[in-house]
Formats: sequence, C-alpha cells, structure tokens
Amino acid sequence: MNKRRPNPKQVADPNEPLWRSTLRVAMPLNLSYIPIGLACGILLHAAGFNTLLTGLVSILIFSGGAQFLIATMLTINSPLLSIVLMLFFLELRYALLSSSLSPYLKGQSNHFLFIFAVSLNDENYAINYLKFATDKKWTGKEALMVEHYSLLFWAVSNIVGSLIGSTLKIDLGIVNFALTALFLYMIVMQIKNRLTVVICLISGVLAAVCMMLTKSTLGLVISTIIASLIGFYLETTLRKHLPDSHWLWKLRGPGAKKSAVENTDE
Amino acid sequence: MSAVNTWNSTQHFWLIILGFCVAFVPRFLPLMLFTKRAIPEWFNEWMKFVPVSLFTALVVKDIFIDSASYALILNHFSEMLAAVVVVIIAYRTRSMAISVITGLIAVFLLSMFIA
Repeated sequence: MNKRRPNPKQVADPNEPLWRSTLRVAMPLNLSYIPIGLACGILLHAAGFNTLLTGLVSILIFSGGAQFLIATMLTINSPLLSIVLMLFFLELRYALLSSSLSPYLKGQSNHFLFIFAVSLNDENYAINYLKFATDKKWTGKEALMVEHYSLLFWAVSNIVGSLIGSTLKIDLGIVNFALTALFLYMIVMQIKNRLTVVICLISGVLAAVCMMLTKSTLGLVISTIIASLIGFYLETTLRKHLPDSHWLWKLRGPGAKKSAVENTDE
Repeated sequence: MSAVNTWNSTQHFWLIILGFCVAFVPRFLPLMLFTKRAIPEWFNEWMKFVPVSLFTALVVKDIFIDSASYALILNHFSEMLAAVVVVIIAYRTRSMAISVITGLIAVFLLSMFIA
C-alpha cells in the first residue's frame, strides 16, 4: 500500500519468466496489502457483511478507502443513496489516475481497457505509472499482471479478515481508526503546496458545519464540492494575478522520491 | 460506533453492485476517451482538489462529529493525539502500512491512559 519502489539494483534476468518478474515488481505492494486487507475484512464483518460478500466487494470495488468507507457508513446506518454518493465522490479521483495512464495505453483494445479499469486502484497505479515512465519494455500486459497480483492479495486478506472477524471480538472504535489513519496518510501524500494546507483547513471547517447542518453524511459531499471549487478558484486566481505567490511554493516532503531514512526535517 | 447495522445480505449485494458502477465509470471513461483525445484543463485543475478536500472531511467526521447525533464533539483526545502521530509518521515514512499500524497502536495505547 505504500509507494515503495522496486529495488533499483535488481538485475534483470532475461530468462526469468514474465509471471515471476512482474510478481517481483508487485511484491512490496502485495505484502503491505496484507495487514490493511485483514483490518478491512474485520471491519466489514463487524458492519454486517458476510464472507462471500466481503470477497465480492474486494474484487468489484477493490479500493481500501471505499471499503473502509462502506464499513463505517454501514455501522452508522447511513441511507443507501448517501453511501453510493460518497463512494462516487471518493472514486471520482480515479478519473485523474486513469487519465494520466492513458498515454501509455494508446492502441489497446476496448476489451483490454475494460479489464484494466476494473482492477485499477491507487497503489497499483503508483507502481505502474512509475514503471511506464522509467521502463520502456513495460507494456499494458505487465501492468495488468501487477494489478491482478495486488487484487489477489487484497481479496484473500479481506476474506481471511472476515473469517477472523467472526471469532474475534474487537473494539470497533479502535480498529476504525485504521480508516482515519488511512485518510490522514492520503492527505499527507496529497499536500503539494501551502495552498493545499489552506484547502485542508477550509474543508475541515466546512465539513463540520455542513454535517451539523444537514445532520447526515451528505454534508461530506457538499463540503467536498465547495472546498474543491474554492481550491480550484484560488489556485487559478493566484496563478493569473500573483504567479510568484508564496502560497504556491512547493512543499517538499522527505522521501517524496527516495525512502525516508536518508532524510532530515524540513 | 456502537450501533449495529440492520441491513440484510440482499441490500449489501445491491450496495456492492451500485458501488461497482460508481467505482468503475470514473476509472473506465477517461481511459476510453483520453487514449483518443486530450483532457479539458479546467476539469483536471478542479479534480486536483477533490481528494484532499474529501479526505479532510472524512477525518473531521471520524474525530470531531458524533456518528449518531452529528453534533460537534471535542473530547476525543486519544484520537486527536493519534492523528497527529499518524501525520508525522506519514510525512516521514511515506508508507501507508507503517502509518496505519502506528496509528492503531497509538490510539490503543492512548485510549488506555486517557479515559
């Protein structure tokens, strides 16, 4: 689930079968899916999903954030429309991911694009985008294999989590913090300049106000639309009138490219 | 998080199908369109701010909003502190797995000491 890169020192063995070389690329992701998949399966079980449906949701939706969201919203008895709307807004970001992969998938058949889109998600996107950008031999076929390896590990971890969930009595409040932590991690990964930090604060306040007013999770959708439009407007205006504004300065996080070990504080 | 969900498996099934549709369309349509033509710039610029706004809203819901009454709550100190820990860990390690696991350990330990 992290953005670790495959070991750059690995020597390409020309005789290595394709399934094994792509598995090696996908392995760091596969391993980090295990704990989060387990937690997700336990949460879905606690939210009332049976094991079969947990497997199905892992394969069809295949998105950690979306599945955690489903589990949370079910435990607070949100209406179906509200959950689907939230999912829609959560998944809308994939439009960006698949847009940015499209130059590398030119000329593929519609059938291939369909299969590829079904199992695209944030993490295998990160791996494939990097491979496409750096490895000329990386094609849609290899990318699809990485997607399917990660899908396999994710679905199995979810199913095992669901089975463990029936024997374990867990404090849902604490395990649910996995979701909060996941989103916090995603926020940190999204922060690119000072303006994004401002948008975070605006969105946080708006979310609280909108949820208190609407008395439902629909407030999340409303505040997301408003906050992202404010961000869009502010950035466009700043770019036009004050292109040197310090609000657009890039924030460099440690390990944006490399592992964090060799980095110090900013 | 105490409320028990009352949905049955059929309702869960339809939720999955609808969820699949809303998850699939944004992944598939741009691939279909943009392997053939260019992306409108304004749309891209707007979409850039959607994830960060959404995730912040979700975190605020988890930490500051009561899940039953939707009232503001400001006494979940263990979650607040653990959230700060997660942000620091995520910033330093850039690893999702490490951030989530540290967060879970932090909230577990903190909730034992802060009642």
